[in-house]
Amino acid sequence: MTQSPMDQSPTDQRPTGQSALIVDDSKAMRSILRRIVAGLGFETTEAGHGQEALDHLEAATAIGRVPDLCLIDWNMPVMDGYTLITEIRKRPEWRNVTLMMVTTESEQGQIVRALAAGAHEYVIKPFTPDAIAEKLELLGLVSKGVLA
Amino acid sequence: MTVTQTGPALADVQAITEQVWSSFLGDEEPLLQRFDAPSAFPAEQAWSAAVSVHGGWTGSITVELSVAVAQALTHLMLATDDEPIEDADIADAVGELVNMVGGNVKSLMPGPSALTLPVVAAGRAAHATDLTEVARFDAVWGGEPVRVSVHAPRA
Amino acid sequence: MLRRARSLPIQKPVTMAPASFQLIAALVLRETSIVYEPRKEYLVEARLHPLAAQAGCADIDAYIQLVATDALERRKAIDALTINETSWFRDNAPYQAFTDTMLPELVTQRAARRHLTIWSAACSSGQEAYSIAMLLDQHLPAGWTADILATDVSTAMLARVEAGRYSQVEMNRGLPATHLVKYFTRVGAEFEIVPTLRRMVRTRHLNLAERFPAVGQYDVVLLRNVLIYFDQPTKHGILRRMHQHVAPGGYLLLGSSETTLDLPPDLNAMWEREQIGRVQAHRPAGSIAAPRPASSSISAALTGARP
Repeated sequence: MTQSPMDQSPTDQRPTGQSALIVDDSKAMRSILRRIVAGLGFETTEAGHGQEALDHLEAATAIGRVPDLCLIDWNMPVMDGYTLITEIRKRPEWRNVTLMMVTTESEQGQIVRALAAGAHEYVIKPFTPDAIAEKLELLGLVSKGVLA
Repeated sequence: MTVTQTGPALADVQAITEQVWSSFLGDEEPLLQRFDAPSAFPAEQAWSAAVSVHGGWTGSITVELSVAVAQALTHLMLATDDEPIEDADIADAVGELVNMVGGNVKSLMPGPSALTLPVVAAGRAAHATDLTEVARFDAVWGGEPVRVSVHAPRA
Repeated sequence: MLRRARSLPIQKPVTMAPASFQLIAALVLRETSIVYEPRKEYLVEARLHPLAAQAGCADIDAYIQLVATDALERRKAIDALTINETSWFRDNAPYQAFTDTMLPELVTQRAARRHLTIWSAACSSGQEAYSIAMLLDQHLPAGWTADILATDVSTAMLARVEAGRYSQVEMNRGLPATHLVKYFTRVGAEFEIVPTLRRMVRTRHLNLAERFPAVGQYDVVLLRNVLIYFDQPTKHGILRRMHQHVAPGGYLLLGSSETTLDLPPDLNAMWEREQIGRVQAHRPAGSIAAPRPASSSISAALTGARP
């Protein structure tokens, strides 16, 4: 689990005070998502599987810094993303965390399951940066005009 | 477009691969289909990765890339420009590539089924003799070879 | 063949003159805000080459000269040079305005008829038309019907609307996951709109720059992000022709960054502007019968000034 510095570039949004936890077993995918989400003003942290993510959430809660957003892959070792969502949704203190799955699982049945388990949104890999930004706009985490 | 029970249609494999490519590797350099590739993957040095699917359909999806392609796509995904990259980084990036291609092939086939985690190797792919190739998409990217193949158990 | 880790080998040599590249890059920037940096000449050339051949131009430079003067070629060139995926519920605010304000208003006005008509006037691959269809499915009162006309100058695009199939990359763009599972079924690698929504949309070929066929009147006309492709006289002609196709009390919606400043006085008088949330709607003059709490533009409508 690593703390990622915010990427700096002229087009990046200023920090918004929001934070995101990126959960994926691929370093490359975490890197891609981190750049997209940091570019939208989020501070980011990463986890390589569901159990690491839970550990991070516990630690963050203890210091009063629960993330606003979790991006969650489905297929991961140790604990997969679906299980992670069910675990997160058991905890009232994490009720306001927005959960967005980012995964190759694209069968309709899988999407239905994830939404029923408590995922708020769902992005199918492959995706473009705009797709993530638009979903976050739908969720109200990113304000209009960011994409213009 | 019919989907045979043994595997996905080539056009779908191509569409999936092209979408993965253009989403993460840019559309500056297009992935161009190649029709005359030899049966042995035409790169002296290569990386390969595979995922397997088990359940409603059983099969495997393999990606083979020349070393130049593997290194270039790793740099793009990690945004590392000319900084040095390690084999572990390349293995991770190539593994995620086959994860995305394989995951989408899985969703084309009868379900439900599960996708294994990727297995990556420095070298060309080798396939077990009890598997038969059911689809193969050959392409070039900046003049370098790329291959996505789907295998299933012999009937 | 180069073996540098970062860059890939071999790009075709560029034949386009630097001045041509600057011209086309400036045009694309002005129309779409997309920046084509100097190292992308080969990409511009590759994408324009088929259009140049179709137009019978000797080379890319000649084609770019044509693009500078011919509106139709300009549109084709811009389409070829910009990313073609469009979003579902693009810009969101107009669809919110449709649900919150326009639809309730129309339901009141058309209570006797219980039928609404919508026209997506530059429908492209159909996301706009089907987005409206989803909202109608969710919000149209029981016993009401609606139909949506989707028109475009491109027959290839109309075929896409008729098929109602979208790649998963397209499905990621602005479509709530709940709508994906409710309104689409998987067909191979794509997602297809369900028959109940598919039946609401019919297609027709139509070139906005020419006289319109007799398509009738519509309660809502969506003319979004297409006027930018036309020069000012053509734009005004379209708005003139469009006026008779918007039913009294109906709405015309343009793109989020499009305005109708500098209309000639007679054309200006044909339309009223109404601010609905973040959206500016145009309505046939006389539509705004009485002040509504949400509307702040009655005085603007009377004077023709922007609110």
